[in-house]
Amino acid sequence: MMATPLLELKSVTKTFGGLTANNQVSFKVQPGEIVGLIGPNGAGKTTLFNVISGYYAPSHGQILFKGKDISGKPPYELAALGIGRTFQVVKPFPGLSVLENVLIASFLRYPKRAQAEEHAWHILEITGLADRAEVSAAGLTLAGRKRLEIGKALALEPSFLLLDEVVAGLNPTEVDLTIELILKVRDQGVTILIVEHIMRVIMQICDRLAVLNYGEKIAEGTPAEISSNPAVIKAYLGETAA
Amino acid sequence: MRSKVITWSVLAVLVLGVVPLFVSDTFVLRILTEAIMWIGLAITFDVLAGYTGYLNFGHGAFFGIGAYTTAIMMVRANWPFTTALLAAALVTAICALVAGIPTLRLRGAYFAIATWALSLAIQQLALILTITGGPDGMRLPPFLDPVYFFYLMLGVVSATFFLLWYLLERAPFGLKLKAIREDELGAQSLGLNPTRLKIQAFVLSAIPTGILGGIYAYWITFIDPASTLSDLVSDQALVMVVFGGMGTLIGPVIGALLIFSFKTIFWAYLSNFQLLYLIILGAVIALSVVFLPNGLWGTIRNRKNRRGGPKKNQESLSRDAEADKKSETKSALAAELKACTQKDGVK
Repeated sequence: MMATPLLELKSVTKTFGGLTANNQVSFKVQPGEIVGLIGPNGAGKTTLFNVISGYYAPSHGQILFKGKDISGKPPYELAALGIGRTFQVVKPFPGLSVLENVLIASFLRYPKRAQAEEHAWHILEITGLADRAEVSAAGLTLAGRKRLEIGKALALEPSFLLLDEVVAGLNPTEVDLTIELILKVRDQGVTILIVEHIMRVIMQICDRLAVLNYGEKIAEGTPAEISSNPAVIKAYLGETAA
Repeated sequence: MRSKVITWSVLAVLVLGVVPLFVSDTFVLRILTEAIMWIGLAITFDVLAGYTGYLNFGHGAFFGIGAYTTAIMMVRANWPFTTALLAAALVTAICALVAGIPTLRLRGAYFAIATWALSLAIQQLALILTITGGPDGMRLPPFLDPVYFFYLMLGVVSATFFLLWYLLERAPFGLKLKAIREDELGAQSLGLNPTRLKIQAFVLSAIPTGILGGIYAYWITFIDPASTLSDLVSDQALVMVVFGGMGTLIGPVIGALLIFSFKTIFWAYLSNFQLLYLIILGAVIALSVVFLPNGLWGTIRNRKNRRGGPKKNQESLSRDAEADKKSETKSALAAELKACTQKDGVK
């Protein structure tokens, strides 16, 4: 397909004591793609996110970003390299205002306060949070906090964005707005890896999917291929349904 | 409001600056000098406690290290005061760096315990070494000029205040520290290196503290482990910061002034009721933690721009709601996938 993939996992394994959360997971993400990472609860999706974003070091295997080995590098170094992420359990800085939340992320690319503030306002416009800039982050609704989570990641000006369940828990209108935002971000040249439980979203926006079950990758392909893949249906619905 | 703070602070420093021209009473000058010193100890404590979210019970140890370094350099090496004071700043900075690297990896109570233990260790060290004079302490060459010490203390503390105000309220550094206080893991994904920032904050808080210790030693002319290295310095600073309002810089100034005045009045006029002082102090702290969790200044400020609101309740409520929705999503998952497979079929 293309020369170097943006992200390449080479048989990544993560164990916690005797528990294997990710077992020999390999896949590639090409520049400009939206790749979905799906799988039943406990399949190891969030663990894999934490490994890719540097919160856990892989027990075995390698992670390549733009062809360079990044396995085991701390999150703040990966942020500087261009990897942004959101958290499933959103992590706003509750005691600070929405603007300050985004401002902190903006300092990575704009160390001077004036430029950082300008950039932060720009991000707030994109994410539709500008009218709540001065509100305390703790006072936002869930939808607002999920947007703030995306906004903070975007403020890093990443080339690769990891989205962990940014749609779950939102109402249909909010879901559509978030989908719109994700597509807009992709159109600006950001590659996206997304974990999501809401299949409508996954099917609608993803170019390709990777499916995890019990920590192992059981399938990879286009949404259409995945939805008719017997192994995937079995993983979700059990033996008889397949 | 921010520029107002600067205006008021400059005004306060100027007013204090002319005091010695009108007041020649040594007692009054002495009280003022000590009050200013406590303001300095409280604002430097706030760098870590209020902005970064780490309770440093080794704060008093930095004060003591500064005092002892100055004393040792002046008495044992015959250095002049200013050079000895510079050495004190340097030694305190190095000690903070060395102590910070292992302890700042710890969080919450563990950090508090580790720094407390470290300060006890330093106190014991001062007790057994000969260079520190052991339990007998050290006598410094007397230099009895209250006006000199008043201006020195005022100069150092106001310089520290304006420096901290710039770094913590104006420059990005303060917001970065607050991010670590609010969510250390989350801050990492935004490109912040918590260990480095915490060590910077630790050293920033330690250097002025060491300098204040050095000035104190020369001013009082006698130091011993009990007066400069006990946990009392850290404890009092903590009380002043919590009572005044953590993470505001102004709060600790107010807290230091009120608590110090209270203590001085008590000692001057009600010295027969020493025990009562500690009881009242304890009660004030307990009450302020329960009724003024943001401290005096924090409460006043929140009332002004009502932004704080009922943070905690709102947060936990919506967190529950989130959890509810999540379990719903997951049970509906299988059905949804099935629907998708039927609808999309072969695209």
